[in-house]
Amino acid sequence: MPIQFSMGSFCSRQKPYNEADTEENEQDAEIERRIARETKAEQHIHKLLLLGAGESGKSTIFKQIKLLFQTGFDEAELRSYTSVIHANVYQTIKILYDGAKELAQNESDSSKYVVSLDNKDLGEKLSEIGSRLDYPYLTKEITNEIKTLWNDAAIQETYARGNILQVPDCAQYFMENLERLSEADYVPTKEDVLYARVRTTGVVEIQFSPVGESRKSGEVYRLYDVGGQRNERRKWIHLFEGVTAVIFCAAISEYDQMLFEDETKNRMMETKELFDWVLKQSCFENTSFMLFLNKFDIFEKKVQKVPLNICEWFRDYQPMASGKQEVEHAYEFVKKKFEELYFQSTKPERVDRVFKIYRTTALDQKLVKKTFKLVDETLRRRNLIEAGLL
Amino acid sequence: MPQYQQPPSWRLEGGGQILDLETAVKDGILGGGAGGCGLGSATCEKVDLKKMIEELEPVEDVPSVFICPISLEPMVDPVTLCTGQTYERFNILKWLSMGHLTCPTTMQELWDDAVTPNRTLHQLIHAWFSQRYLRFKKRSEDVQGRAAELLETLKKVKGQARVQALKELQKMAVDHSSVQKTVADYGGVALLTSLLGPFTSHAVGSEAIGILVNLSLDSEAKVNLMQPAKISLVVDMLNEGTIDTKINCTRLIEMLMGEKDFRSEIVSSLSLLAGLMRLAKDRRHPNGTWTGLSLLKTICSHERVRGLIVSVGAVSQLVELLPNLSPECLELALHILDDLSTIPEGRVALKDCPRTIPNAVRLLMRVSESCTQYALSILWAVCKLAPDECASLAVEAGLAAKLLLVIQSGCSPELKQRSAELLKLCSLNYTATLFISKCKLTRTIQ
Repeated sequence: MPIQFSMGSFCSRQKPYNEADTEENEQDAEIERRIARETKAEQHIHKLLLLGAGESGKSTIFKQIKLLFQTGFDEAELRSYTSVIHANVYQTIKILYDGAKELAQNESDSSKYVVSLDNKDLGEKLSEIGSRLDYPYLTKEITNEIKTLWNDAAIQETYARGNILQVPDCAQYFMENLERLSEADYVPTKEDVLYARVRTTGVVEIQFSPVGESRKSGEVYRLYDVGGQRNERRKWIHLFEGVTAVIFCAAISEYDQMLFEDETKNRMMETKELFDWVLKQSCFENTSFMLFLNKFDIFEKKVQKVPLNICEWFRDYQPMASGKQEVEHAYEFVKKKFEELYFQSTKPERVDRVFKIYRTTALDQKLVKKTFKLVDETLRRRNLIEAGLL
Repeated sequence: MPQYQQPPSWRLEGGGQILDLETAVKDGILGGGAGGCGLGSATCEKVDLKKMIEELEPVEDVPSVFICPISLEPMVDPVTLCTGQTYERFNILKWLSMGHLTCPTTMQELWDDAVTPNRTLHQLIHAWFSQRYLRFKKRSEDVQGRAAELLETLKKVKGQARVQALKELQKMAVDHSSVQKTVADYGGVALLTSLLGPFTSHAVGSEAIGILVNLSLDSEAKVNLMQPAKISLVVDMLNEGTIDTKINCTRLIEMLMGEKDFRSEIVSSLSLLAGLMRLAKDRRHPNGTWTGLSLLKTICSHERVRGLIVSVGAVSQLVELLPNLSPECLELALHILDDLSTIPEGRVALKDCPRTIPNAVRLLMRVSESCTQYALSILWAVCKLAPDECASLAVEAGLAAKLLLVIQSGCSPELKQRSAELLKLCSLNYTATLFISKCKLTRTIQ
């Protein structure tokens, strides 16, 4: 972020030179020198801003970078995620149970969403727990109850309709690992941490240096993760003027899902609008844009069952083949849509800023590492070109 | 096989060079075994010599006494006149057959029109080229061997080692045409293509493309390269690379477009089109401009992509570019604009750009007939779209006089017909006298 300082205001007093003044001037000069040094050092730090709608995978990318290029999570940090993970479990089962009740009332084929009589009490109990502010530790007993409910046919049917409810993406993963999560001495693994879902509030930042062959170059990056929900973006976005690059995360798997904050709004449409808005901000005129088309793994599976044109933005999509070819075709279509959006939202003079699209699956550490290497290469080349060295 | 060294005795008079006879004899150059077929089969030697000279072309530092004074080429069948001057047989016979009875260099009149084969000189020339040829062949083998080695290396290494291997291979492929064959024979094309994917770094990708673009690619290879992920990579490199990389990427895409199974979706990428426009506009690199415009023209021939080209603002950018282009580039640019004028968005963009009419009028009858044809077609499209607005602008820019020039010129009848129609269209809003005054050639047009 640009640091603006006007030293002039400190030294504008007109006073006769005497000893006390000399000492003060000396101190002022020293401060000035320090600020100049730090400003210079700051300039060599490339600032990256993670943007995107809620649940687009920004924080997962953030965690991956921490795992890849910093010291990762130590045991204390890992342990700190235990309560979050348990909370995720309770939240998930509550959403599913409440969702089943809703579907049983409103859907035409309501019978398949009716939870079996044996499990009804369980459901009510777990739903009540899930609505508390403080969750109890996952004991073996509760775990078995959750497992039983999860395996209920109605709950599974509800899960299949997950897109119209707010079922988080980590649902299946945590449900499948329930035994492990409820061990008395449970310490979350790195993978568990990556799946854990906490809504980011405020700004978090980490500073890192990409390891590998560019170790010698000593490039330093600072990555900022900002909360994704709709609150007052326009008020703080200008604080990020001068960042080297914006990493915009778009979860391409959510073309059939609605927003958490507003269940009438399609998530993909929200992402589209947000991207458009970000592109047009004057503070990003010369900023490089790295678009991460995220959650490709979920997209891959979904696109073969749920047609793309369910989303208004993709309504002109025409399926071509089936199987793997279809997935590629669908992906290329989505990519072109984003490309189109970029060019529509960018003034001709600004079209020269770097704009690249990357296919990502934020949960796959190897892929994130490969992707970041490419991002790093692009930014370094850009640097050299601007310095006239290439 | 021992390294064949250049003997220090190869210094001939007549160019500040002296022949050391002893060493020449010792090395078996004169009448020795190393020369070739021997005295008797002069024809055999000639064919060999001709082939060697061709393969070694262009040769530097050929001793000047080996060069025919008429053609300035090395002599394959040297013959000597009575004046003692030596020429290539074919050339001097031609000179004499034209009726000249003088020696071309000394200007002396010939007292004897006989030509004597200069066997000594022939043997020396043959030996000299043989030496060079052997060395060339050896180096070629070395180079081919090295190329094969590099391809093996590429299958195993990654990272910086890979980049270095590619760099070396690229340099060799550019310098030696034999390397291209080696690469093809050892499955190099498939190997290089397999290196290109969504996670390929720019360093690796740009080198690989640099090699591929100099090879002849068969159908299978081209289809392989047309995969969306690979094309995406090429487009990215086109946008980010050095001028050489940009040109290579552009040329590669152009090569792919020649393939019969080519689908226009592959080039329907806004990033590609924007990148090509940027390349075309780059004044610092005229060969880049030509390459970029050439591909744009090829892409423009696919009607479906024209809308996209207009949407990246190509029309106004091309129009602005026109005054600075060389004639070859001008033809390309005008061809593109003409193609774009066939779609409604293109016509509107042309009309909205203020420089379209003045630049197009200026180009009539200025460069070539095809340029005139395109410029005329563009003006026609614009004036037809908005006759009230554009016709007067055009006339003010001196269109009428230019059209008269076309009609009076040796251009094709269709062109003249078009000009007449356009002239009529433009004259509609003017009275006869006023219009005639506009038809006078102003100084700017002259």
